[in-house]
Amino acid sequence: MKSLIENSKVLVCVGSGGVGKTTVASSLALLGAQLGKRVLVLTVDPAQRLKTTMGIEEGQEAVEIKGHQITGQLFASVIDPKKTFDEFVMRASSQPERVKKILNNKLYVQLSTTLSGSQEFTALEKLYSSFESGKYDLIVLDTPPTKHAIDFLKAPQKLAALFTEGVAKWFRDPKATQQNFFLGLLQSGTKQVLKTLEALTGSDFMKELADFFQNIEQWQGQLEKRAGDVHSLLVSPTTSFVLITSFDEAKLKEAEYFSKEIKQGGYRLSALIINRAFPFWIQSGEQLQSKSPKVMNLYMQMKDYYQKREESFSRFSIRMNQQAKILRLPEMREDVSDISGVELLAKYIQEAK
Amino acid sequence: MIKSFQQEIIFVTGKGGVGKSAVAAGIALKRSKEGKKTLLVELGYQSFYTDYFAEQLKAPVAFSPVRVTDNLDVALWSGPECLREYAIYLLKSESIYKLFFENSVSKALINVAPALPELAITGKITSGPRHVGPPLRYDVIVVDAFATGHFLALLKAPQGMAEAIQFGPMGDQSRSIDKVLKDSNQCKYFIVSLPEELPTAESLELAEGIEKTLGAKPVIVMNKMLPVEVTPHEGASDFEKFLTNSQQRQNQALSLLGGRPLQKISFCFQNDSWKVVESISQEINL
Repeated sequence: MKSLIENSKVLVCVGSGGVGKTTVASSLALLGAQLGKRVLVLTVDPAQRLKTTMGIEEGQEAVEIKGHQITGQLFASVIDPKKTFDEFVMRASSQPERVKKILNNKLYVQLSTTLSGSQEFTALEKLYSSFESGKYDLIVLDTPPTKHAIDFLKAPQKLAALFTEGVAKWFRDPKATQQNFFLGLLQSGTKQVLKTLEALTGSDFMKELADFFQNIEQWQGQLEKRAGDVHSLLVSPTTSFVLITSFDEAKLKEAEYFSKEIKQGGYRLSALIINRAFPFWIQSGEQLQSKSPKVMNLYMQMKDYYQKREESFSRFSIRMNQQAKILRLPEMREDVSDISGVELLAKYIQEAK
Repeated sequence: MIKSFQQEIIFVTGKGGVGKSAVAAGIALKRSKEGKKTLLVELGYQSFYTDYFAEQLKAPVAFSPVRVTDNLDVALWSGPECLREYAIYLLKSESIYKLFFENSVSKALINVAPALPELAITGKITSGPRHVGPPLRYDVIVVDAFATGHFLALLKAPQGMAEAIQFGPMGDQSRSIDKVLKDSNQCKYFIVSLPEELPTAESLELAEGIEKTLGAKPVIVMNKMLPVEVTPHEGASDFEKFLTNSQQRQNQALSLLGGRPLQKISFCFQNDSWKVVESISQEINL
């Protein structure tokens, strides 16, 4: 892992929700700082986990984290999706009076906070602007939690489709809006679609939608440029993906599928980290002698359970052979809830084979 | 018309990795064994249960329910599919729908239009009690819902839309969906958690969010509880230390819950998914 951290400028940590992505990302960042780098760890975290783990106060841009053996510097930042999106809109808009209008549009408020794809978009936006600032030697991105790891890579495309598919075009005739918006549209095909949609949703909704699309039209150029820049950054030789997964059949299957997708997308998957793969007691290889039959019984059951998992892991690692470096991390004795937990995990990552 | 038809809707959420889908399946299996016709619903585009129930299923999980076992079916609902079904129901013609919606422009719009997918999904889930849309002939619907933050966004969508859109069918539908979600006789909410500090703190945050949004009181399901009590002693083995540790962790997590409704599920040492689900179905109280 040392050479990966040394040779990377950007590490993108991906994985489905609940696998410990945030703590692993923090640990990788800490390792970088211990190697003398100026490191930023970025997270979009609705549950604010990194905040608790790293002790960051609300509303701060990037906070310096102090810890043992840091010879470089470690900064952590929690991305505020709403704020990042608003900032993007303000930068992308040429007309200030339109900015106000869009920021007040009810659908925009929904889009910038809850729409699927908007968190992924803001994460990449923040990653790029931090990279562009030139302040850091290494940026570790903890991606938003998704049901499936692959959703992260697909989300920006979904947002971009808004423009490439020409949806915005439907709503672009300002003259028509002044009278009856839909009647003003000349293309009969789209007119019919909109009429049908209006019958289903009501004119109130359609007005908001039209207003929304007219206002975001001006982002198109900026959004496309940004998408291009971000893509170049993600496929650059100094950017690596790290896939973090938990240890069960379904997750391992997903990891295999995801690693293929990453490759197909032209990205570099450098490491696969299986978090909480086994409890620490299983390593010691001790033979338990307990007087309590209950404890003995539980011990046998758990040993058997982890033995079977070991077998499925062997099959998995044969299939995954040479796709990426595979690391297995043990279940921690304590919950990782502060910097000392992150330090311990970083040590495990360094030692893991 | 259907008279005195009381459908039970059970939402199961929780952060990733806590065993949310297994618990949802366990709840559904329990109801089905009680003789209730039960539908287990997963949300999104990719099925989890297709692999999970590979032994039981004859076909992959899809929008139309497929059979898992007696009285138990499973379905996969995505926003666009729910919207499509609703639109066809209203238009009363699939060909009109196809004409207007089966093109890339409409598809892109439906995919990104704010809150529409969320609204369509909650609309479909609550379609039984609202008598809107094609009938869902099940006594019980168990929804393996989105994880934490996304789930709250799903529940908030109807309310948010009802506030934003005062008039027209969209506003009316949103209000009626919101009403069902808030009806504690109709909808129940379970949050699956692990007996550890961070997952528990997150579950509590979510429980408060659900209470605030809907006024409902969700039940917290502590999953993967370790069963044996041990007393720390001299020369304890690593395994005994692990048990002592886990126990402290569990007790701490439980103490965070205060007086909230709680259910415990023991750690199931099975690698076979059906056995896990059966064991949960026997342990859970509804």
